[in-house]
Amino acid sequence: MTISRRNVLLGATASAALLPIAARAQTSEVVIGVIYPLSGASAQIGVDAQKAFETAAEIVNKNFDYDLPLARGEGLPGLGGAKVRLVFADHQADPQKGRAEAERLITQEKVCAVIGTYQSAVAVTVSQICERYQIPFMSADNSSPSLHRRGLKFYFRASPHDEMYSKAMFDFFDVMKKKGTKIDTLALFHEDTIFGTDSGNAQSKLAAERGYKIVADIKYRANSPSLSAEVQQIKAANADVLMPSSYTTDGILLVKTMGELGYKPPAIVAQDAGFSEKALYDAVGDKLEGVISRGTFSLDLAQKRPMVGKINEMFKEKSGKDFNDYSSRQFMALVLMADAINRAKSTDGEKIRDALAATDISGEQTIMPWKRVKYDESGQNNDADPVLLQYVGGKFVTIFPAQAAVAEASWPMK
Amino acid sequence: MTAETIIQSLASGLLMGLLYGLIAVGLALIFGLMDVVNFAHGEFLMIAMYATFFLFAFFAIDPLLSAPLVAAALFVFGAVVYLLIVRFAVRAKANAGMVQIFSTFGLAIVMRGLAQYFFTPDYRSITHSWLGGKTISVAGIFLPVPQLCGALVAIAAFVGLYFFINRTDFGRALEATREDAGAVALVGIDKNRVFALGWGLGAALVGLAGSIMAIFFYIYPDVGASFALIAYVTVALGGFGSVFGAFAGGLVVGLVEASTALILPPSLKSIGIYAVYLLVVFVRPRGLFGSI
Repeated sequence: MTISRRNVLLGATASAALLPIAARAQTSEVVIGVIYPLSGASAQIGVDAQKAFETAAEIVNKNFDYDLPLARGEGLPGLGGAKVRLVFADHQADPQKGRAEAERLITQEKVCAVIGTYQSAVAVTVSQICERYQIPFMSADNSSPSLHRRGLKFYFRASPHDEMYSKAMFDFFDVMKKKGTKIDTLALFHEDTIFGTDSGNAQSKLAAERGYKIVADIKYRANSPSLSAEVQQIKAANADVLMPSSYTTDGILLVKTMGELGYKPPAIVAQDAGFSEKALYDAVGDKLEGVISRGTFSLDLAQKRPMVGKINEMFKEKSGKDFNDYSSRQFMALVLMADAINRAKSTDGEKIRDALAATDISGEQTIMPWKRVKYDESGQNNDADPVLLQYVGGKFVTIFPAQAAVAEASWPMK
Repeated sequence: MTAETIIQSLASGLLMGLLYGLIAVGLALIFGLMDVVNFAHGEFLMIAMYATFFLFAFFAIDPLLSAPLVAAALFVFGAVVYLLIVRFAVRAKANAGMVQIFSTFGLAIVMRGLAQYFFTPDYRSITHSWLGGKTISVAGIFLPVPQLCGALVAIAAFVGLYFFINRTDFGRALEATREDAGAVALVGIDKNRVFALGWGLGAALVGLAGSIMAIFFYIYPDVGASFALIAYVTVALGGFGSVFGAFAGGLVVGLVEASTALILPPSLKSIGIYAVYLLVVFVRPRGLFGSI
């Protein structure tokens, strides 16, 4: 057969048609949207989160000898060594701004995945937009249980939600009670957005099931200029355990106001948030010796898994702070998302979604004390075990569950 | 609900109310003087709190001692803001109202942004001070010393302001300019000078409030927002432009907020304030002590 001019033309056209596909397979960068409060009342969270995500991107993009997905080798091998590029967006803790920014990230910045958002209330709107555009969304650090129960196909969460956390708290109460500690009455103190409300509901339900009496259930307005009236009601109720679900600002004011009104509960078991932030302990740490908070992360893990300590050093160099319960989950979220994109070998939303759904990573390959990362059909990872941490002598030690504990709980708090 | 809870609530409300009054009075003063609403009022409070914090952090000056310094610094700041920004905004030939609103509103956003850039968004607190964390307990009622001190400062500031406005030449010039800026120019009073001093005075008062608040409140770039909102309501309630209206408005807001929290769930405690505010708007639109 002779090669005619027509054959050459045909071949050329065909290769031209294939070019974009080839080009896409060799994408030199993968763009991921990261949406956080970078200004406004919770800007501190977003600014710290930025450092956590940058640390994760550095580990993915450069060569590190850690047993963590994508740490070894540079970039994403599944996409020809493409580098991860992050685009940050600011939602100012406002669900409506979150919606607009998510839309902008997807349509203007052409991100192939979105990670966020700290406030659960904002995750609601951001994940809806992602669902509409068929772009995977991962909750790095949102803890409201209602988030994964909306039948969204593109929603994923590797970390626990507040029902899992609250269950750990009540398991802990049961154990303490068996040892003879007096825990009969509880005072709930939660803020009025979806985070506090969901957390309060989960705790009320568990208390009823397990026979604890709730003597005060205070729902307060977030960022209140004064909490005296609220604290008075908690004080009057005088419960065995105070259970706050508060962001940093309200947490600081709560502890200060409790001091001013001469109230000291026998124990505080906090739903994380403000109670794992350095700012809170800088401000009122002297009044919080022995406070207990739930978490998913503890630097204690560095003793067993040295890479945790090394990665923490990288983060500390950027932010001046140690990993806490938030920054560690933010870090993991990007690693897990990048890993899925790598396995999908594509930046197509649908393919990344399928790769996420097929995730099965052992807990050993994370910086968290989790069993493994494997999402159920609603996108929730049920193998992320929460831990309870106690603030003792200026740092957190793991006290529950027994297999992770490095110290006994001291009760009541000092 | 026991009698103790009620008395404690009212006492806390009273202390908070006096402080709300002190925060609001600068706003009322400036509005009364030249019909300009300072939308950066909350940010004035914020920089006063930061100034107090940094004086404490770098020079270990207790907030009680730094309060006069901060007030003086804010006085200069307020006067400069008038001379550099507001003076030109009020001269706008078209849409004067809008230009005024946007100039101070823009200033607020710039100040917040700069604060976040230079001071970082971290939450700061003054951890050790003479008054911080101290509480007086009288028959089971707890009165936090910093708030108590804030209340006393507020009362002193109002008394001082009363004598200042009624007994000094500058106070009379202030009143006269407020009445008729054109006429005072005829008798040789420099309008700009009076306005600049008025802005300085208003800023100094909020500076005083910021210093005291820094003892017991956390500090971050957006801290002014929630207090500024209360200040606007306080001023509208007491009567726009009335300095003593701000005092009374502050008390009303503090007490109403505290007593609403006794009856309704705490997340609804600001409803009481806005309900009273609406009532005043309907029944007496110029505010309790307003003259316009």
